[in-house]
Amino acid sequence: MAPTLRPGKSRWRGLGQLIPWLLLVVGLLLVRLSKGAGFSDAYALLSRPFWPGSAQREWVTAAADLEERSRLQLLERDNRRLRGLLELQQKGLADGEVSAAVISRSPRGWWQQLQLGKGSLQGLGPGDAVLGPGGLVGRIASVTPATARVKLLTAPGHEIGVWLPRSRRHGLLVGRGSSRLSLRFIDKDPDVRPGDLVATSPASTLLPPNVPVGVIQSVDEQAVPAPTAVVQLIAAPEAIDWVQVQTR
Amino acid sequence: MRTTDMPRLHRQPICVASALVVPLLALASPPWLAIDGVGPAWAVLWLLPWALVDGPVSGALAGVTLGLVLDGLNLGGLSQVPALFLLGWWWGRLGRRAAPIQRSLNLGLLAWLGSVGLGLSLILQLWLRQGGALDPLTQSWGLQTLCCQALVTGLLAPLLVSLQLLLWRRRVPS
Repeated sequence: MAPTLRPGKSRWRGLGQLIPWLLLVVGLLLVRLSKGAGFSDAYALLSRPFWPGSAQREWVTAAADLEERSRLQLLERDNRRLRGLLELQQKGLADGEVSAAVISRSPRGWWQQLQLGKGSLQGLGPGDAVLGPGGLVGRIASVTPATARVKLLTAPGHEIGVWLPRSRRHGLLVGRGSSRLSLRFIDKDPDVRPGDLVATSPASTLLPPNVPVGVIQSVDEQAVPAPTAVVQLIAAPEAIDWVQVQTR
Repeated sequence: MRTTDMPRLHRQPICVASALVVPLLALASPPWLAIDGVGPAWAVLWLLPWALVDGPVSGALAGVTLGLVLDGLNLGGLSQVPALFLLGWWWGRLGRRAAPIQRSLNLGLLAWLGSVGLGLSLILQLWLRQGGALDPLTQSWGLQTLCCQALVTGLLAPLLVSLQLLLWRRRVPS
């Protein structure tokens, strides 16, 4: 048999046999470069019927809640310890709290006050802070053996010192009759903006520290001698039937 | 004098005891009898028929007494005594001088005027306490409270004051 006149043909045939292997290598390189994206997507598609359902999601949510509660307890304990070191008010929110029913209320009239169904016999006294769902509501102004009268934060002329946690500034919150209060600053540049939280001062000894009071609604930068802001209260005295009194 | 021989309202214990309803209603402050959370001036609703029937001196004294009781129930330095004293005196004179006032519109108008007077006296005291200046937020709150209270008092007066006048005039015929 005569030898072939085209020697390259067998070479091309050899290369053709290598192509599948080359494609395999390229494919593997692509998998490597894409960090297995194709495999992951395919696996997700195939395993979708077996994904964790709502029950598992609730378990995870419950676990997350528990974790947050535990962390809060730890932080409160730590906070109390640090306060003790600083010789500030050592009572936490859970200590010295008395629940009292609201037996009379006039949150919108000339006199903005609540009447509570507990008094000095239960340990309540003038100056005690009154907390409702959402934050501070007011302070006890007078007590009888069985009742206590609360002056609401909204009462005209009622003043308390407050703290802005974001900008770390102090201010004076003044009641104006309506549910919106006026916040006076001492600094010329209080670095405050709408939406900021207003709370009691962390160093306060008259009021329980770090209790939310309201949210900044608007800021008047042009006011003299220092800027003022309008604060919307968080707790609504119109809708509160029970309050917590923080006794001192 | 003929008037001294008449059975006066303040000599009847049941009529005097009816004044106790005023502080109780002020404490209860039923929310279904309020406009925008502001209830009526219960003292005005009781004092108007009392003064119309019993005269200026009794009206003024009743106003002062009610004012003192209500001031004790309320916080803050604002007092209702001056306004209630003047209203009691004025309504007592109206009851003595003119023909008996008993029409619903007249009673409603008198109660409305009384509530406005009471509100203005409170705003005036607030203005004096704040050094002769009221900020815009307090001004708008004061005017809103005054309007709401005057409206609800004026609306309730024809019903409640007419009833009281009817009962008390039967006991004290003129």
